[in-house]
Amino acid sequence: MLSYTLRRILAVIPTLLILIVICFYLMRLAPGGPFTSEKPLPDAVMKNVLERYGLDEPLHVQLWTYMKNILLHFDFGPSFAQKDRTVNDVISHGFPVTITYGFWSAVFVLLCGIPLGVIAALRHNSFWDYTMTGLAIFSQIFPNFVLAPLMVLLFTLWLGLLPGGGWNGGQWAYIVMPAIALGTSYMASVARLTRGSMLETLNSPFIRTARAKGLPERTIIWRHALKPALLPTIAYMSPVFVYMITGSVFIDVFFSTGGIGQDFIDGAYSRDYSMLLGLAILYSVLTFALNLAVDLIYAWIDPKVRAGL
Amino acid sequence: MTRKSILLSALLSTTLVAGAYAADLPAGTDLAADQTFTYRVLDEFSSFDPQVVEDVEGANVVRDLFEGLYNQDADGNLVPGVALSHTVSDDNMTYTFTLRDNAKWSDGKPVTAGDFVYAWQRAVAPELASPYAWYMELMSIENASAIIAGEKPITDLAVEAPDDHTFVVHLSQPLPYFAKMVTHGTTFPSPKWAIEAHGSEWTRPGNIVSNGAYVLTEHVPKERSVRERNTMYWDNEHTVLDKVVTLVIGDDAQALTRYRAGEVEKTDIPAGQYPALAEEFPEEAYALPRLCNYYFTFNMSDTGPEAFKDVRVRQALSMSIDRNVIVDQVLQGGQFPAYTFTPAATAGFEVPDVAYAGMTQADRDKIAKELLAEAGYGEGGEPLSFTYLYNTSDAHQQVAIVASQMWKQKLGAEVTLENQEWKVFLENRGAQNFEMARGAWCGDYNEASTFLDLLTSPSGYNDGKYSNARVDELMTTAKSSQDTQPLYTEVEQILADEMPVVPVYHYSTNIMLKDSVEGWPINNVEQNWYSKDLYKVAGE
Repeated sequence: MLSYTLRRILAVIPTLLILIVICFYLMRLAPGGPFTSEKPLPDAVMKNVLERYGLDEPLHVQLWTYMKNILLHFDFGPSFAQKDRTVNDVISHGFPVTITYGFWSAVFVLLCGIPLGVIAALRHNSFWDYTMTGLAIFSQIFPNFVLAPLMVLLFTLWLGLLPGGGWNGGQWAYIVMPAIALGTSYMASVARLTRGSMLETLNSPFIRTARAKGLPERTIIWRHALKPALLPTIAYMSPVFVYMITGSVFIDVFFSTGGIGQDFIDGAYSRDYSMLLGLAILYSVLTFALNLAVDLIYAWIDPKVRAGL
Repeated sequence: MTRKSILLSALLSTTLVAGAYAADLPAGTDLAADQTFTYRVLDEFSSFDPQVVEDVEGANVVRDLFEGLYNQDADGNLVPGVALSHTVSDDNMTYTFTLRDNAKWSDGKPVTAGDFVYAWQRAVAPELASPYAWYMELMSIENASAIIAGEKPITDLAVEAPDDHTFVVHLSQPLPYFAKMVTHGTTFPSPKWAIEAHGSEWTRPGNIVSNGAYVLTEHVPKERSVRERNTMYWDNEHTVLDKVVTLVIGDDAQALTRYRAGEVEKTDIPAGQYPALAEEFPEEAYALPRLCNYYFTFNMSDTGPEAFKDVRVRQALSMSIDRNVIVDQVLQGGQFPAYTFTPAATAGFEVPDVAYAGMTQADRDKIAKELLAEAGYGEGGEPLSFTYLYNTSDAHQQVAIVASQMWKQKLGAEVTLENQEWKVFLENRGAQNFEMARGAWCGDYNEASTFLDLLTSPSGYNDGKYSNARVDELMTTAKSSQDTQPLYTEVEQILADEMPVVPVYHYSTNIMLKDSVEGWPINNVEQNWYSKDLYKVAGE
């Protein structure tokens, strides 16, 4: 298991390097630069600005300097748009915010999605099943950019219960709406996925055996059926959690949380190269780490997988 | 105060009109108990460093945190800031400012002329590489250009501090509106000791030392910033607002919702919603004239279409645009139909009579058809077709669609609309890689040359590459002339004759501002506002 983990970590290094190089050159292909503006800078001023940020060097030199700074000093460079700040600084401010409501959103997805799916499967083809399935489909067709304004209308403007945005150091009232708006459609997927796999598990021979042995229904479901039924859900959750964090751009902008999603958008518009690259690296490392975590959890749950490592 | 009287008072070395600064409370005002003003900004600020900041919202904060030589009052007139008055030498090339002796930094140190020398040198320093270094060049400070180009050391900048309360500036050419330019953030003083102690982190709350009416006490990037009353400020006793909070809200509609919920007290009105909001909140919705224009620019360089080289074609396209339809029916935000390049709101500028402004639209349409036929295009001639390029945005798209329909119906022109992402658009327009493109300009200072200089041959912003020797000559003369109106009138008339650009409208700012907030400078066309001039009244 340990050597497996180490092998996986080692394999990611060349992947990351290739990714940085590709992203680095791709960004430069976009017309315009960080200092292109409606009022074009006079040549002498532009020269000073480019020199200050090292953008006057040939591209491969810039790339080399960038790599060196990351490896030797863990320095991802200055932000070109937020001139008083570095990329490290911006990410260390925004990432905790995004990951906090991303985490609560994931909790919401699992705590609502799994029970909904399990209940629907246990009461297969009953009123409960139809209600749950209906609810799940309903949530899935509501994208967050429709759901979020509706929630704000209801909870902020009409009921006056929750603030319409902001973060305020991460008080719960500021987390509720972003977490729910972000998670709802994933919650629906989880519910449907759980329902399907639970149904399949409940019809498998080992459950029939358990029933034949006369085990109480509760033990059958909790001890024997739930664990294997959750495998597809867990596999699904890893990329979803990354999507939830990286795909939370809309939530960050709409609820003004101060999370990194806003930086990703702004970085693209303002050609803030170092910011974009920094975030791309962060997202890739995150994707890799969560994939690894899921594989390990999988191995822990499923003896067949464990044997194969 | 008009520009003329500033000059007059300056020449006579009199003090500027005092009294109109600081919150101007009518007797018996019932102030609200909580003097916290919260407003919405669209984006995170570019910086709080006066010499580095480049965005408008950032400049608004910097104007609260730092105080320059002069401030503006509610009408945009100059009032004393750190400087009480100034004198100008006979050749109009040397300005001597007298600074007040009671101005203090937030750490208690006195504000001296040396702080201005340091800041102005900093603004042009190649190491700092401020994008706004060009502003110092525009101010015509002697040696500024050479220092930016790296040819001279920053100590050669022609600014001096003979004593702590005298600040002297030498110009490379007379500049009649020089005094007006010192209300800009780039010219504000900066605290050398704090910058040296904290380096690039000197603007963080706790590190920052400032001399304005407020100090920065909290800053969460992309979420909020808080500035609170600076007790060391020389006029602190007349300041009313205790605390000013900005919330970053990237979505216009969401900002309006949060305004309705009472979370912010000022926000921008989303495009197209002004009429409805003005009806719903007659006391809170404002359409304020703004120092910006909106125009279509013809590519007159070699890469441009042959048709646009014919003045009759340009005239016809301009005449056939019904500006009232665009303003009243499409934009609906209190904008002004434009027939001149310079907005009417510009200080000291009288809109000259240009022939086509006085005609009815029916007459204009008739002339347009005739001109196009004469040029050999349209009905019976060669079909006129071109591409109109604009940057992606709903509002620009609406204007583009309406304009192209007008051209099609009236002149039979086939116009292809093309939109591009902002920076791609700028790159293409700047490289003359377009046929006709959208243009817009906001004044850097409140004087007509900030607009008209754009259409001179050497201007780096003249993307249509229009060139007229007489315009260049008039604008050069205007730089040192005391009576610029006749010069600007002639330039505008040449522009109306040759039509290198089609003026469409002059902007307005549409804002929602709570009834309880008083003192907003609605007549200041630059919308340079100071929190120290605002106050909140108790609700009835």
